[in-house]
Amino acid sequence: MDLLNHLVLGAQVLFTPTNIFFCFIGVLMGTLVGVLPGLGPTAAIALLLPSTFHMTPVTSIIMLAGIYYGAMYGGSTTSILVNIPGEAASVITCLDGYQMALKGRAGPALGIAAFGSFIAGTISVIGLMLVAPPLAKFALAFGPPEYFALMLLGMVVLIYLAAGSMLKALMMGVFGLLLSTIGMDSISGTQRLTFGILELSDGVGLIPAIMGLFGVAEVIVNLEEGITRSVVTTKVRDLLPNLQDWKDSIWPILRGSVLGFFIGILPGPAPVISAFTSYAVEKKLSKYPERFGTGVIEGVAGPESANNSATGGAFIPLFTLGIPCNSVIAVLLGAFMIYGIQPGPMMIDKYPDLFWGTVMSMYLGNVMLLVLNLPLIGIWVQVLKVPYPILFPIILLFCLIGVFSLNYSFVEVALMIGFGVFGYLARKLQYEMAPLILALVLGPMMESNVRLSLVISQGDPMIFLTHPISASLMAVTFVLLVSPFIPWIGKRRKKLQEKVGGDDV
Amino acid sequence: MEKKINHYNRISALFFIGVGMFFSFYGRTVEIGAWSEPGPGFMPFWSGIVLTVMAVFLLLGSFKRKEWQVMPPFFPLADSWKRVLMAFLSMVGYLLLFKPLGFTLVTFIFIAFLLKTIFPQNWKRTLIVASATAILARLIFINFLETQLPLGFLGF
Repeated sequence: MDLLNHLVLGAQVLFTPTNIFFCFIGVLMGTLVGVLPGLGPTAAIALLLPSTFHMTPVTSIIMLAGIYYGAMYGGSTTSILVNIPGEAASVITCLDGYQMALKGRAGPALGIAAFGSFIAGTISVIGLMLVAPPLAKFALAFGPPEYFALMLLGMVVLIYLAAGSMLKALMMGVFGLLLSTIGMDSISGTQRLTFGILELSDGVGLIPAIMGLFGVAEVIVNLEEGITRSVVTTKVRDLLPNLQDWKDSIWPILRGSVLGFFIGILPGPAPVISAFTSYAVEKKLSKYPERFGTGVIEGVAGPESANNSATGGAFIPLFTLGIPCNSVIAVLLGAFMIYGIQPGPMMIDKYPDLFWGTVMSMYLGNVMLLVLNLPLIGIWVQVLKVPYPILFPIILLFCLIGVFSLNYSFVEVALMIGFGVFGYLARKLQYEMAPLILALVLGPMMESNVRLSLVISQGDPMIFLTHPISASLMAVTFVLLVSPFIPWIGKRRKKLQEKVGGDDV
Repeated sequence: MEKKINHYNRISALFFIGVGMFFSFYGRTVEIGAWSEPGPGFMPFWSGIVLTVMAVFLLLGSFKRKEWQVMPPFFPLADSWKRVLMAFLSMVGYLLLFKPLGFTLVTFIFIAFLLKTIFPQNWKRTLIVASATAILARLIFINFLETQLPLGFLGF
């Protein structure tokens, strides 16, 4: 009954013309950035964040969340039609999706991706609704040592999955922690490495860092050779999958949805991992695994459902613990902070309209995506035909304006360019960006929690091992850190790395 | 001459040793504090040490005799470096000229410059795309989203 009341509250919040309109804008923009290679959901949310400042917090979060799950929809379109994933979570869709398109079955591939995403999105919203409130209550038992241990685990999971050298990923994580110490110390008020620059008092801006490392660096790498791509030109028709397609896809969709949701809760690039895991599961369960990669619909339905479902799951750590598990959620956390809302165990009780309004908007957003995207596929194909030499200056322009309009600061634009240079060089030297960003986000929280823990324990670092929850989390962290040195686990990690591969968090 | 990954690792390890040591020394100047009451320099100091140690491991590891991965050329094509440099310089130029010239004009120049220099387009296409982008961006950001962007000496 309580749940029903909350849903009614959420519906009351959502069903105003403004909120419906901005939910629509969010999913539309999300799909667009999902379609465009080189501009991921993180950069898109960061770009549009300043434009939401004049809205209410609920409207703003509804729109920004829409961009996130909209991008997952959009990513599949480029994978299927161009064989270039719009974002990392759709990499695996290329395998069978593009093959289906080559066989003239682009329509059903796009159709099942949309329907699968819709079903998965709905399942993950139900999961979010059911899991978040009790988990928030459990999280009330967390003190500084538990929070520190949890954040450390989050970072180490991401580092564990890093595509290349684990040492180099760890170094990027620690470098991120160091950068996060720049600015005013939240406990003593001391200015650290700000050089008298006002903008640096608040720390190194997350959005200039993300736009530089992901947006600018990505574009510059593409400029070295220039992207050439050929869109499947056969007319995309018969978007509705037939009965056989449905028979083949329904179980992969359901399995992918559940899998994606639970992987989504874990820290790290959940949409990417869940899509790959779903593909592996479907291949294993299939009666004809050898046909995977030649254009089977299960290879599209499962991963596309899983990556969409993971977006719902990824909101859980944010709403219950106040911890962002990936860079998209980190930007959303930044948005909450700007509105003076501290996500965490108290948030659902304190701001029920915001939580339930956002949850309800996800239902509506999924319906909108389904209704919109099938007829709009023609337009997305046209967007894809815009040549990259024309597209890249516009993406760079959006990065520049997006960062400037955040605080009207030239320093932040300069920072973005600096991060762009660093990101470009770091990619060349095979360093990963994801640990740096996560460390930059979690750094201030980790620092204050580690210092508070030491104050509580009067300087005894054993506090992290004497509290049962933090001790368990620390134990998992330790196992992950030493596991690459244990041969049989090391091999498994290698396999997992090969699967995840992508750099987007 | 082809480069191997250990060569790149050596360069980056030296960079990170420098960064780690800088933060550690800096941490000492702003007070590390005691374990029972860590100060503002606590995190920079210890994280700096951890980064330095890791970078030293990377550096030492790069001298080990083993089969290192051969890296593709740093710039894949002969003229890649020019494109990369031009793109970064154009962004710096945008930053410097943003205030004096104003949003619309500097956007036009920025887009036109990139279109003409990176993957050279003909003049007709360059001018059409640059004008359309500048006008549309102005309509979206200044007129629709009401973003406070500099208007420059010409007032637009």
